[in-house]
Amino acid sequence: MLEGIPILTLLILLPLIGAIVTLLSGKDPKVAKSLALVFSGITLIVSLVLLLSFNLSAGGIFGQNYQFTEQYQWAKSLGISWIVGVDGISAPMVFLTALLCFLAILFSWDVKDRTKQYMGLMLVLEVGVMGVFMSLDYFMFYVFWEIVLIPMFFLIGIWGGPRREYAAIKFFIYTHIASLVMLLAIFAMYFQANLGTFDMRAIQAAGSLFPNGFQMGIFLALFFGFGVKMPIVPFHTWLPDAHVEAPTAGSVLLAGLLLKMGAYGIIRIAMPTLPQGASGWQWLLLCIAILSILYGAFASLAQKDLKKMVAFSSISHMGMVLLGLATLGTIGIAAGSFQMFSHGLITAVLFMVCGVVQHKAGTREMTKLGGLAAKAPWLATFMMIGFMASLGLPGLVGFAAEFTIFFATWQTWNYLLLIPIISVAITAAYYIWAMQRTIFGPLTDKIDVSHLRDVNWFEAAPLAALCAAIILFGLYPSLIFDFMRPAASGLAGLLGVI
Amino acid sequence: MVYAEYAWLIPILPIIGLLLVALLGKKTPEGGGYFAVGGIAASCFLGVMVALEYLTGGSSEPVSGTMTWLQLNSTLKLEMGYYIDSLSAVMLIVVTILCTLILVYSLGYMHEEGERKRRYYVEISLFVVGMEGLVVASNYLEMFVFWEIMGLCSYLLIGFWYYKPSAAAAAKKAFLVTRIGDILFMIGIISIFASFGTLNYRDLFTHNFIAQPVDMTLLGVGLFCVFGGAVGKSAQFPLHDWLPDAMEGPTTVSALIHAATMVKAGVYLVARSFPLMVHTPDVLLIVAAIGGFTALFAATMALNNPNIKRVLAYSTISQLGYMFLALGAGGYMIATANLSEAAAEMGNAGYMAGMFHLLNHAFFKALLFLSAGAVIHAVHTEDMRLMGGLSKKLKITSFVMLIGALSIAGIPPLSGFWSKDEVLAAVYNAGSANIWFYLLYIMGIVTAFLTAFYMFRLWFMTFKGEGKEATQHAHEAPRSMTVPLIILAIFAFGTGFILMGPDGGLPAVIRTVNLDGHLIAGETLGLGWIEKLFTEWQTWLSIVVAFSGVGLAYMAYFKKSISVDRFATGGSKKVYDLLLARYGFPRAYDWVGMKVVYGFSRAIDFFDRTVIDGVVNVISRFAVSGSGVLRKVQTGVVQTYAIVIVSALSVILILMYLLGGLR
Repeated sequence: MLEGIPILTLLILLPLIGAIVTLLSGKDPKVAKSLALVFSGITLIVSLVLLLSFNLSAGGIFGQNYQFTEQYQWAKSLGISWIVGVDGISAPMVFLTALLCFLAILFSWDVKDRTKQYMGLMLVLEVGVMGVFMSLDYFMFYVFWEIVLIPMFFLIGIWGGPRREYAAIKFFIYTHIASLVMLLAIFAMYFQANLGTFDMRAIQAAGSLFPNGFQMGIFLALFFGFGVKMPIVPFHTWLPDAHVEAPTAGSVLLAGLLLKMGAYGIIRIAMPTLPQGASGWQWLLLCIAILSILYGAFASLAQKDLKKMVAFSSISHMGMVLLGLATLGTIGIAAGSFQMFSHGLITAVLFMVCGVVQHKAGTREMTKLGGLAAKAPWLATFMMIGFMASLGLPGLVGFAAEFTIFFATWQTWNYLLLIPIISVAITAAYYIWAMQRTIFGPLTDKIDVSHLRDVNWFEAAPLAALCAAIILFGLYPSLIFDFMRPAASGLAGLLGVI
Repeated sequence: MVYAEYAWLIPILPIIGLLLVALLGKKTPEGGGYFAVGGIAASCFLGVMVALEYLTGGSSEPVSGTMTWLQLNSTLKLEMGYYIDSLSAVMLIVVTILCTLILVYSLGYMHEEGERKRRYYVEISLFVVGMEGLVVASNYLEMFVFWEIMGLCSYLLIGFWYYKPSAAAAAKKAFLVTRIGDILFMIGIISIFASFGTLNYRDLFTHNFIAQPVDMTLLGVGLFCVFGGAVGKSAQFPLHDWLPDAMEGPTTVSALIHAATMVKAGVYLVARSFPLMVHTPDVLLIVAAIGGFTALFAATMALNNPNIKRVLAYSTISQLGYMFLALGAGGYMIATANLSEAAAEMGNAGYMAGMFHLLNHAFFKALLFLSAGAVIHAVHTEDMRLMGGLSKKLKITSFVMLIGALSIAGIPPLSGFWSKDEVLAAVYNAGSANIWFYLLYIMGIVTAFLTAFYMFRLWFMTFKGEGKEATQHAHEAPRSMTVPLIILAIFAFGTGFILMGPDGGLPAVIRTVNLDGHLIAGETLGLGWIEKLFTEWQTWLSIVVAFSGVGLAYMAYFKKSISVDRFATGGSKKVYDLLLARYGFPRAYDWVGMKVVYGFSRAIDFFDRTVIDGVVNVISRFAVSGSGVLRKVQTGVVQTYAIVIVSALSVILILMYLLGGLR
């Protein structure tokens, strides 16, 4: 059906054209908003077509059998090409990217300050993230990786909260250093392979023959580079600051997509290219995963700012992704990838809810809130669905991921599961307590609630869409998990674990 | 099998009701309550038909159907489906009938709630989905899914009047305390899945342990964890303290969720796991010990509580303890029977007693709660000290509540007598296998005495004596409330007699425990068995104990010939206060929650802000000495960092090359 159509390149070009058109549009913010929405909407439809026409039964060696692959020579002397392709891990991430960008743009319908630039940057961000998830050339990958940083830097720095400059710069420097380390590691692999190409597939094929010491060292560098992005404890402190200051849509994309880039890098690059490095450092991955899970959970419990609590919960839940990956087995890797997808949907709801609370009540301090359910029942409903999904309520998408990750953990390390599973109780505690303090109890008298309204249509629509997705993929996780399982099985085969 | 194959539809039907309530509830009378009742009544009809068809079908083979829910890798998969055997069939009858009756009662009870009614009917319909799904589930994971959905609904409905701080706090407590049990349950499921490669009851219960041995220690740990889930859900010691607080919800919720159905899920879980648990006697001993201790422990807290619903809540905890005690004792007998037919037979009697008590308790406790609801509806208070003399004004309520009280107190021939007597007999018999069961038997007898006393204390305080101010304008409840009460009273009176059915009646049907692939057939019960029952001294002891409990309450709260006030003062004041303070459990929970867990999280947060982020800030300040201009910070730090990182990485790389070379 899609023979001859460069669908992946189209998925990068559409938001790029959208960004240019939006930035060049006239003074009317309404035109800019509509253009951005239309272009991201078309991208979403194309990504859905991609997902539906993906061949689920195609297996093969991980990292060598991509679908919808396109390859064009670019700089031949340097070995740089435009190569894009998707497999079972990246295809759902492409869909997630298109979905969250579209909904984030819709959610930002009331941005009044420099609307045109705001919308344009959102689309540039979409270009970058799309590129990261489908690049099969290291040079391209790095370029897209860096492209993502720039719009996010400005989104935080211009439309952010009171400490936006500090947060934006901290975000930029921290993640940029990580990118540099990653770049050095990429160069090291390029020279070690000595093939004169930046093609990921070729370097991966050569990678298993790299000497053990090289694999160990470069894996560590890549793990640092990608780990900062996830983020892993103790390199996480840029995240709460960035989230607290970022505008809502920025937070949605930051937590929903940018964090996934880190985990994706580990799956796409570090583990298949350096399999001995992965098994050699398995203990470190495990320790960092458990540390992140528990540290993030306990830190969340201590927060008084609703958004900061959600930000720390992301650290905990991305630790779950890493825990799945650390098993190096089929179920763990598939479950970790599924957790990426599920966290993307859930965290988007959480940050949107925080945004609505901030917008309507004027504060996110839980000590000043209370009883909002009486005034804003829909806000309370969305918050509850998001929180319940995030704490792993069965029937919602988070549970399928969490349960399978825990099962894989038990399969690999038996009783060690007892440590990370503590987080389930802590997670429930901070969400349930947060609900008690914000939406339940008597209506607060610490802030002026006379004008407190429920969600607007442009807030309700994306929230409802995300909640529907959370329920749909929660009731039937196979819809996405079946994409990931064959790829995960291939990767586990490369790592020598089945 | 005409109906059984549609068993999966049972939890689907209330969903239709739920959606109709959500969509049309605003425009229809009672906030769409009739849709909820309709959906639940439809599933009740189907559930009862499925159950009767199965139970009268004469086959002991379970009926099951599954579909793949999540394929994990080439061999392991998680499934969803339905599984009907005699146990789930009996549970289906109990659950669907009770849900329907209590929903009908809700139409009257919730009448004055206005706008909130729609939310009530949505949440309670979802709860019914959870409970019915749990009963027909085909595997442990599916059970866990519905288990948690029930937990959510319990949370939402305890917090139904969420603007009351006490309700919001109670909801939080219920969710978090049961969550502890749920984590254990999840660990148990995971370990069973890892051991057997499947979670389907059909495969687990026919597992050949000789051909495919499993690690028995691991199985024991797994089943212990599964029981941990039951402890949380069924409010057993030490996770019991959420249930009294859960009385903050509407009384219909207390009756349905926190007495008749959801809290039984833990008992059902243990009964469900019986074919596995009979391989691990240690776990069963723990089950019995927790159950027996909780029965006595909770009964003591009901002795002096002034709140009518809380007394019933403690009573529920206590009676659930009885069920675990019976299951544990019976299972222990089977586990240690060593091919002795007689011992296995006695063990089966324990299993049957536990489930029989579950069935009877579901009806008489629902009756007691709904009667209490009718009282609260009339007097607008839950404090029994403000009540009295209501039997003149609430004639029907006082009469049906008397039946409930007689039943739970164990006065023959009401239903509670039969099952309680069987529970105690099973525990006594298990004493021959392990001496500890004699201690548990004594605890059970004491509990029976206390139960009779506190129930009649409740009844006399509420309905007899002189009227108080709160009772001035009391009037009988509307018909939609009294009719379900009367139906429940008939059940509470009569369910004991099903023992006399063919082959021991309904409860005997569920005593088919699959042990190593062999079904143990039971001896015929019926009338002859009842004759035998009354020739044993244990039976007479439990009757004497029950009557003396009632008699003591009569003297103290009706005749007032014993002054109860002196227990609240003087030397026994400490004990009195300790009971009112629930042995300090709420404070202990708070201490763990606020001081230990929250304190630790505050420490982590402090560490995060000062140490970890502090290091980051110090490094950047060091890199850009004394710069306040942020623009400068940006370029300066990147370059400095780049240099540091590049040089550090080169060192690492060189080291790695050397190490690689050395190998």
